[in-house]
Amino acid sequence: MPWEYSDKVLELFKSAVSSGGGTHMGEVENADGVGEHGSIVCGDALKFTFRVDQHPTDPLQDKIVEAKYLTFGCTSAIAASEALCIVLEQMAKTPIEALKITNQDLVDFLGGLPEQKIHCSVMGAEALHAAVADWAEKRRVDLSPFVRPEEFEEIDEGRVVCKCFSITEPYLRRKIPELGLKSIQDITNALKAGGACTGCHHCPGGLQDLLDDIWGMEPHEHSEPVETKEELSPFQLGRLIETTVDALIRPALKRDGGDIALIDIKGFNVYCRLEGACATCSGAQQTLKLGVEGTLKDEVDERIRVIAVGGGS
Amino acid sequence: MSIIYVDNNATTAIAPEVVEVMQPYFTHNYFNPSSMYQAAQEAAEAIQHAREKVAHCLGHVEPDQILFTGSATEANNSALFGVAQANPKRNHVITSAVEHPSVLEVCQEMERRGHEVTYLPVSHQGEIDLDAYVKTLRPDTLLVTVMMANNETGNLFPIDQLAEIAKATDPGILVHTDATQAIGKVEVNLEGNLKQVDLLSFSGHKLHAPKGVGALFVRRGARWRPYMFGGHQERGRRAGTENVPYIVGLAKACELATQTVDEEQTRVKAMRDRLEAELLEKIPMLEVNGQGAERLPNTLNLAVHGIEGESILYELSANGICASSGSACTSGSLDPSHVLKAMAVPFTAIHGSVRFSLSRYNTDADVDHIVAVFPEIVANLRRLSPFWDNAKSCLTNV
Repeated sequence: MPWEYSDKVLELFKSAVSSGGGTHMGEVENADGVGEHGSIVCGDALKFTFRVDQHPTDPLQDKIVEAKYLTFGCTSAIAASEALCIVLEQMAKTPIEALKITNQDLVDFLGGLPEQKIHCSVMGAEALHAAVADWAEKRRVDLSPFVRPEEFEEIDEGRVVCKCFSITEPYLRRKIPELGLKSIQDITNALKAGGACTGCHHCPGGLQDLLDDIWGMEPHEHSEPVETKEELSPFQLGRLIETTVDALIRPALKRDGGDIALIDIKGFNVYCRLEGACATCSGAQQTLKLGVEGTLKDEVDERIRVIAVGGGS
Repeated sequence: MSIIYVDNNATTAIAPEVVEVMQPYFTHNYFNPSSMYQAAQEAAEAIQHAREKVAHCLGHVEPDQILFTGSATEANNSALFGVAQANPKRNHVITSAVEHPSVLEVCQEMERRGHEVTYLPVSHQGEIDLDAYVKTLRPDTLLVTVMMANNETGNLFPIDQLAEIAKATDPGILVHTDATQAIGKVEVNLEGNLKQVDLLSFSGHKLHAPKGVGALFVRRGARWRPYMFGGHQERGRRAGTENVPYIVGLAKACELATQTVDEEQTRVKAMRDRLEAELLEKIPMLEVNGQGAERLPNTLNLAVHGIEGESILYELSANGICASSGSACTSGSLDPSHVLKAMAVPFTAIHGSVRFSLSRYNTDADVDHIVAVFPEIVANLRRLSPFWDNAKSCLTNV
């Protein structure tokens, strides 16, 4: 299906393909920084090269004077590569400054990208960072003060979980415990995975499955032991709930001309329905949640949840 | 003789506006929407617009959650098998005894493949008992699939409550509803009354679009796997070259339906109510199936004691009236309506059931005509019936 590209993307793509003046397509000879990202297997790959004017004493003051790319990829991959070179010329004078360029800068420059194509801009930023790392090695510059260490780690090869940002399962499996990520939101904030189309959140083998696998199912409920005292049997629990309802809840409801029916108890889920005057009362939901659930939590077990069946809604 | 079409739960007349918007995609823009040239992109854009319209009509949901199918039956198959495929650790399905065959028989097939299925019973009025439903929920429950409205009786089911109870019990339970009969007749809002529903299916030909197109809504993040493979269409979730004219037609029909849903609730309902009241008044031993329960505004299902449905339909047809029946002789399988059986309608009355289902294209004159001829048809057939005297005495003795 054809993509909806911005005018800027199409303009850059056309000018690159027609080899019109001003494109940065090609490879810098004897480059000072060489960075590659992607592979032909993934369907897109970018080789990015730049040359600097070397400062006689301080490599940190090297000035980038030329940047070029060779790209194997789709319309937006090529446009993003052009964008990378142009943004670099506009924003960065030194390789260290170039590290501040993010994929979002490229997306903004391009006037947006279809969400499935965001990875094209990520590829540009990654290739740039790799090229800067290459320059740093050649010039014996220690980059560690300028970057967070994880930025230069290899992205592990493997099954891609988040397709928008090309983030793989081995990488996620390493990062989730390392950074203590407990929820999908945590993952998105830290690694971007799942941040665009959200399709990988709950799909089979998706982020939730990885979280469940790494932390165990339903970590919120079982990760910390709630009770040390002996558990009631289902029979004892049911009886306790029933007697509590009869002793503390039903009399109060009856005073208002209402009543409550206990329909079922499954685990700590208590299914019930308000009847009589309470069924049509506008505060029925409140009564169930605060009154009934609150009382049962206090009297029987913290974990009890009351679920309304019919009436009220 | 002009025809009075009151079988709109079977299929509907195609709206002229729908035919009009479809036309160019037969005659001019016949391109494959996956192709790269400009004209093909216009076809792709037409599908995208259609998707946005349908998404809008379902409660302003994000359009990428809608996928187009060949029918509601396909959408139902895709929903149920796709959910089973994606959740191999869960084994239990809850449905109702009165589903359309495209859900019921899929459930039966799932049983043959190792799933356990609970078929919720219904009352004599056709209502689901929520208390009984609660008791069937299990830790390994995979799916709750219950139709929004029944095609035979028009009974409406409380999907909002079923979904809410399921999700409160266990957010991992998926909820699907077949909304084929409900769309355009009652509120269907996936951000409102159905916000807890994960999957929803419907077809075009029940709402004045042609046969051969349907849609499936799959909420983002719902655990579901595609059912059809072999192409990247619909983002890989429903392979097969898109049926552009029909998809465009479906979207137009949805758009018209949102404009006419009020008319269904008022004018169409008033016609149905008058038809019901006048027939009940004129015909003895006549019952409304589903009476007293919440029903679709357009549907009237009658149990005519003592006579057989097919002969009623034949006589109605001779008078230019198109209706249908739950009788065995009309089913093609010699099996009377499973819906009316589940409602414990007496066997003889099932065979004598007649369904009138109206649409916005019906008029008061149509109702007048039915009221004028139907009582006589019933009386004539009852005179021939060996069961009539019997039935009468049975009923009067009760």
